[in-house]
Amino acid sequence: MSKIIEVKNLSFSYDSGAKDSKYAVQDVSFSVGYGEIIGVIGHTGSGKSTLIQHLNGLLKPTAGEVLLEGKNIWDEPKKIKDVRFKVGLVFQYPEYQLFEETVFADIAFGPKNMGLSGDELKSRVENICEVVGIRKEYFEKSPFDLSGGEKRRVAIAGVMAMQPKVLILDEPIAGLDPKGRRDIVSMIKNYREKFGAAVIIVSHNMEDMAVLADKLLVMNGGRLEIFDKVYNVFSQGARLNEIGLSVPTVTKILYLLNEKDRNIRTDIFTLDEAVKYLCGYGAGDAHA
Amino acid sequence: MTRMLKDITFGQYYGSGSFIHRLDARTKILLLIFNIVFLFLAKNYYSLALCTVYVAFVLLLSKVPARMFLKNIKTILPIIVFTALLNLFYGGGGTVLFTLFWNLTVTTGGIYRAVFIAGRIVLLILISSLLTYTTTPNDITDAIESLLSFLRIFGLRGAVHVLAMMMTIALRFIPTLVEETEKIMNAQKARGADLENGKLFDKIKALIPILIPLLISSVRRAYELAEAMECRCYNGGVGRVRMKRLRFSSLDLAAALFNLLFCGGIIILNILL
Ligand SMILES: Nc1ncnc2c1ncn2[C@@H]1O[C@H](COP(=O)(O)OP(=O)(O)O)[C@@H](O)[C@H]1O
Ligand SMILES: [Mg+2]
Repeated sequence: MSKIIEVKNLSFSYDSGAKDSKYAVQDVSFSVGYGEIIGVIGHTGSGKSTLIQHLNGLLKPTAGEVLLEGKNIWDEPKKIKDVRFKVGLVFQYPEYQLFEETVFADIAFGPKNMGLSGDELKSRVENICEVVGIRKEYFEKSPFDLSGGEKRRVAIAGVMAMQPKVLILDEPIAGLDPKGRRDIVSMIKNYREKFGAAVIIVSHNMEDMAVLADKLLVMNGGRLEIFDKVYNVFSQGARLNEIGLSVPTVTKILYLLNEKDRNIRTDIFTLDEAVKYLCGYGAGDAHA
Repeated sequence: MTRMLKDITFGQYYGSGSFIHRLDARTKILLLIFNIVFLFLAKNYYSLALCTVYVAFVLLLSKVPARMFLKNIKTILPIIVFTALLNLFYGGGGTVLFTLFWNLTVTTGGIYRAVFIAGRIVLLILISSLLTYTTTPNDITDAIESLLSFLRIFGLRGAVHVLAMMMTIALRFIPTLVEETEKIMNAQKARGADLENGKLFDKIKALIPILIPLLISSVRRAYELAEAMECRCYNGGVGRVRMKRLRFSSLDLAAALFNLLFCGGIIILNILL
């Protein structure tokens, strides 16, 4: 399968030039296929945010390279803006970047920078709002009158409106209530289904990662610790604990149950599956 | 652009624990004012030379690396050179030494003015940056509050405290704001905002997506801070005591005496030579 993004031996230091420079990201290599959802997890300060800012050219690697559709994004530094339209990056707490008078105008900011105008711009914004469920009555409201969760949805839609082929989100659900979280997660799913984009999500919520992601990228102290299928990552509970992470809560419960009854499986990571398994388990037990 | 913001060094405190670091901040402020006055009183080359020696001596005493001071001079070097040249060629006075093209004449008076202007500016910057390098912003504001406390007799005590508190808070929040600005700039760049290219008008317009979020978050921060301060029963300066008090010591006396010596030297050199 061909890859949309390839990262090769990427290293980055915030104070490059200083003699004893410390790397925020060191010798990281991985690749992302078309339409894949990658979850990025890691302890605070492990270099997640630094890593993803390289993918759309906000940071330039100290060493190594980033290939977008097989082409080094820094081959033509003048065209780095085009890279930013193809690789949309939603920062942490994106609601703090809203600035326009109306929701519509704010979502239109990105597409406008791409050179769209008039009807094309209008249909672009309306289209994305339909996909992510922002209703028309909101268009003329001031973004500052919205609730926290709504603001964040508008801000994310502002990046999605550029229709990037790769959508990157830095802790998109941090600090939201359960409903706000569900809204954002379904927004991301809808966007990916509609546009077939690859998605990279940084998150601390292991439950959501287990449901959403195809693969997990685990960062530890600036280095890539594990990059593998969700199943293979969460089966290494001890290793995750060691670097300050954990398996999803349901899996922890299964581990505790397993101490009482060695037959109980511990390789289930989503709540739905665990419920199904445990309900069936009693029945199977009686049968045996 | 992000790099540029980082490079502005705010609150440039450089802790080396020297004799000067240990002086009371009030002493340092008063002596700084005193020194600046005497820099401008120096009238002839000898007294200017004494000023140079004096400044060099206290800089050495501070144990702050020379490159920190040079960095400050470097940024305004063009201005110094320009004013010195201007003074060299215009104004005349004294005997004519030689004439360049276009009737540009170099006179002893011109040289005197050029040397004095350049010398005074350089020394002024060096000695002022010494204060910020050796005194934490908090100590500086505390000292200002303490020095201005005589305004109490005009019933202005509350105002002095409020001013000092505002200064402390402003200083405290500069790094936060710089960080915030960088974040917002990056977020808008990720949406294709172009901050570098375009005509002047475009550049000004490009600032709007940065300034508005910055303004809003500053106001939000101000409310949060005010609430947090009220929760800890802050109600202005009345009845407030300090955990870290400024105290004069024998060091301050020594510094003051040394300064008197220097000032005496300037006066003597001014009169005698
Ligand atoms: N703008 C910056 N300037 C200097 N150092 C930074 C900056 N941003 C992050 N760092 C440092 O880089 C390292 C990685 O940080 P970051 O990528 O933000 O980690 P994470 O997103 O995983 O919490 C940390 O040690 C952090 O202190
Ligand atoms: Mg981060």
